Amino acid sequence: MPLTRTTFGRVTLLLMAVGFAALLAVGVGLVWLVESSRGFSQAVTATQNVRLASVRVLSLMQDAETGQRGYLLTGDRSYLAPYEAAVAALPEALPDLARQVIADGGLAGPVEALARNAQRKLDELAHTIALAETGNREAALAAVRSGLGQASMQDVRAELAALETRSAGRLAARTAAVERSGRALLAGAALALALMFAVTFGAGLISHRYLRALERAEAATRVANEGLEARVAERTASLAAANAEIQRFAYIVSHDLRAPLVNVMGFTAELETSLGELRGLVERLQQEAPALLTPAIQAAVTEEVPEAIRFIRSSTERMDRLINAILRLSREGRRALKPERVELAALLDALLATMQHQLEEAGATVERQPSLPALVTDRLALEQILGNLIDNAVKYLDPARPGRITITAERRGTRIEIEVADNGRGIDPRDHARVFELFRRSGRQDQKGEGIGLAHVRALARRLGGEVSLQSTPGQGSRFRVILPAILAPEPAASEENYA
Amino acid sequence: MNAVPLAVTIVMIEDDEGHARLIEKNLKRAGVYNEVRHFADGTSALDYLLGPSHGGQRPLLVLLDLNLPDMSGFDILAKIKDDPVLRPAPVIVLTTTDDEREIRRGYELGCNVYITKPVNYESFAQAVRQLGLFLAVIQVPPPT
Repeated sequence: MPLTRTTFGRVTLLLMAVGFAALLAVGVGLVWLVESSRGFSQAVTATQNVRLASVRVLSLMQDAETGQRGYLLTGDRSYLAPYEAAVAALPEALPDLARQVIADGGLAGPVEALARNAQRKLDELAHTIALAETGNREAALAAVRSGLGQASMQDVRAELAALETRSAGRLAARTAAVERSGRALLAGAALALALMFAVTFGAGLISHRYLRALERAEAATRVANEGLEARVAERTASLAAANAEIQRFAYIVSHDLRAPLVNVMGFTAELETSLGELRGLVERLQQEAPALLTPAIQAAVTEEVPEAIRFIRSSTERMDRLINAILRLSREGRRALKPERVELAALLDALLATMQHQLEEAGATVERQPSLPALVTDRLALEQILGNLIDNAVKYLDPARPGRITITAERRGTRIEIEVADNGRGIDPRDHARVFELFRRSGRQDQKGEGIGLAHVRALARRLGGEVSLQSTPGQGSRFRVILPAILAPEPAASEENYA
Repeated sequence: MNAVPLAVTIVMIEDDEGHARLIEKNLKRAGVYNEVRHFADGTSALDYLLGPSHGGQRPLLVLLDLNLPDMSGFDILAKIKDDPVLRPAPVIVLTTTDDEREIRRGYELGCNVYITKPVNYESFAQAVRQLGLFLAVIQVPPPT
């Protein structure tokens, strides 16, 4: 059965509840046992009290009898002292016994009977003593001999003995009950213990199974991840290969485009040299044989051919610059990146120092955030990115107001966001995507350039694992945001290929 | 002293006819009148250089373009520098690229001078003229 997290949670909770209930039951049983032991000891005390009270009553009764016998034998009143003490104590001792018996859970009936018999005995004793005191000693002895007092005393003894027997029986019963409950509790505790053991074992077993299942799932995830990583690596490799293909293509194209261009330029120069000869000839003709010189020839040599050469020149020069740009981009793409720790503040300060002249000429001020983060990246690439952005900001200022360029940067998670903002002429929203393309420019073409800078910036930013974006309002300014990874991972060693 | 440089034959391996013409013109302008043997592909150039005559048993200077239709100029350079007879001959690589890695590779393979053909014609002419000056001062040892 697959163990899901919820069933695991539920089962564990249930087992814990069962274990807790068993523990609670044992606790309750213990409390009950303590309570019943206390009841038992109270009962034992009560029984002891009954015994003490009955012994006292018996002793008093015997004292009374002993006093009477001594007096009757001797006629000396001093022998009556135990009798009189007993008669004085009994009215208190008998009800005390009754109270103790009732407190011990006994019945009032036997005690009342005892009291009646005791009274009868006492009455008999008092009667004989009274006879003796009146000098009728013979009548008193006769009364004793009658055995009535003896019988009453026997009854009292029997009743006290019965009381004792009943007390002993109750004590035995109570002891047995306490023992029984103790044994029951022991059995219950053992049962609860067994239950708790079973619950613990079960919980352990389930936890073990759950952990095993988790481990298996983790292993499966790991395998899946490894597969994923392999796929990503594969995809990255094929992308890198495609990129290398494009770089190679750009390189070959620019390389091969250059060769014919050398010819165009070279032979144009040759033409110019030859034209110089021709011009000399035309000048001589003008002086020596003006009739041979038609205006068409003169125009061709002095105006049309030089003009054509000028156009060929400027076009080939432009072409050369474009090819160089492609070559530079392709080379930049092939350059191995060297990630190193770069303090953005120091890098910017050095960069701004080299641009100081340009900034002063344009009347622009640059403000950078006082504290800038550091990052691990390719120093040269970052320098080129920022250099191009600042250069653009300076080039495309609005002449209507003094230029202000603000550079800020902050770290966001694993990335660094660098912003270069200006209050320049801005870029038409339609051109926001175009400006990042090679050879594309925006707005009035009043500045030198081939439309390479931003294409270069974007290529570099992407190469560094980042991106560049643009926000701009025409007439207000532009804000370029470069997002780069804070830590550039070293590239896998690129194969040192040669494309010659 | 002038007799030795004059005796040097310049072997120009250059597939672009235009470049070849421009180089010849500028060499002449620079006052270099040595014999120039022009080969438009690597195979015929190697046949001449490594063939039985070893370039006609004369001191040679090789002007080498790296972009050839049939093989890379680096291969020719390596073959020249592997050949015991040809090894002393100076090799001047003349090509359109100024790629650092290519330049490094050229020197590693034994190229003596590496000249980038600039598109700007004045620079080009200047480079070739400097080559003429170079030819005037170096001593090219004859093949043994």
